[in-house]
Amino acid sequence: MAIQEVRGTFKPELIPKETGGDIDDYEDALHVLMKFMGSMSSALEQVSGRGANAIVYQAGKRMGHDAAKMMEKTDNLEQAMDEMGEVLGHEFYYRMWKPAGQENYTVEKGDETVVKLLFRDCVVRQTLRRTGLPQKGPLCYLLYGYMVGAVEEVMGIKGKVDVDHVGPNACLKTLTIKWGGK
Amino acid sequence: MVEILVDEDACVGCGSCVDDCPNDVYKMNEEKWKTEVVNVDDCMACLSCHEICPAQAMTHKDIHVAKRLYIDRRVTEVLERII
Repeated sequence: MAIQEVRGTFKPELIPKETGGDIDDYEDALHVLMKFMGSMSSALEQVSGRGANAIVYQAGKRMGHDAAKMMEKTDNLEQAMDEMGEVLGHEFYYRMWKPAGQENYTVEKGDETVVKLLFRDCVVRQTLRRTGLPQKGPLCYLLYGYMVGAVEEVMGIKGKVDVDHVGPNACLKTLTIKWGGK
Repeated sequence: MVEILVDEDACVGCGSCVDDCPNDVYKMNEEKWKTEVVNVDDCMACLSCHEICPAQAMTHKDIHVAKRLYIDRRVTEVLERII
């Protein structure tokens, strides 16, 4: 396929509308980006071993803190999840999840509050499948860090995410926040 | 509401889905030695049972289907023309 060249005269600080690109351009770029991401994750694991998880987790956490800076602060976990869902939900659609027999989404365990999150449209999962890598690897830690960073920013409290189950269509994770762990 | 159909003719009774499902949605029927759905309310449609089933015996109806960002649309267009 011939590459379409965009030519024009403009100041470099202005972005002309004809350089917007169409969906096919984005798809190509997305595929390459996914391959890059998959290769980086794989190489990182090869070089750093289990340390790769910590590195990627930290990167995700920073992203999460940045993403949640503009969100309203709350100390209610369910409210925080709704708030975060509106922003982060555009990037990966997730929902709070509970077994049918359980009354509330959040469960109190001593000084901890736990909520199960079901991640549906996850770009990390799609990237791993695109590049033939297993789930639960370092790249998944990017998402864990992202969620933890965002919840820490919104609630001003320490949190952690553990993976319960992964599937090709959705993944279940547990988010735990520790009261008094500021 | 999720509805899960198990094709009994296809099910080989390996029990992989029973072992794999974290929410105990499936159980082995001791008489027929086939999988049966016993707890559909707790199905989160992760579809790992589809991935693990060697006989592709399950169908999940009315579920959220995750975006397949990695599927190349040009390839699928070509395939659609061929198939």
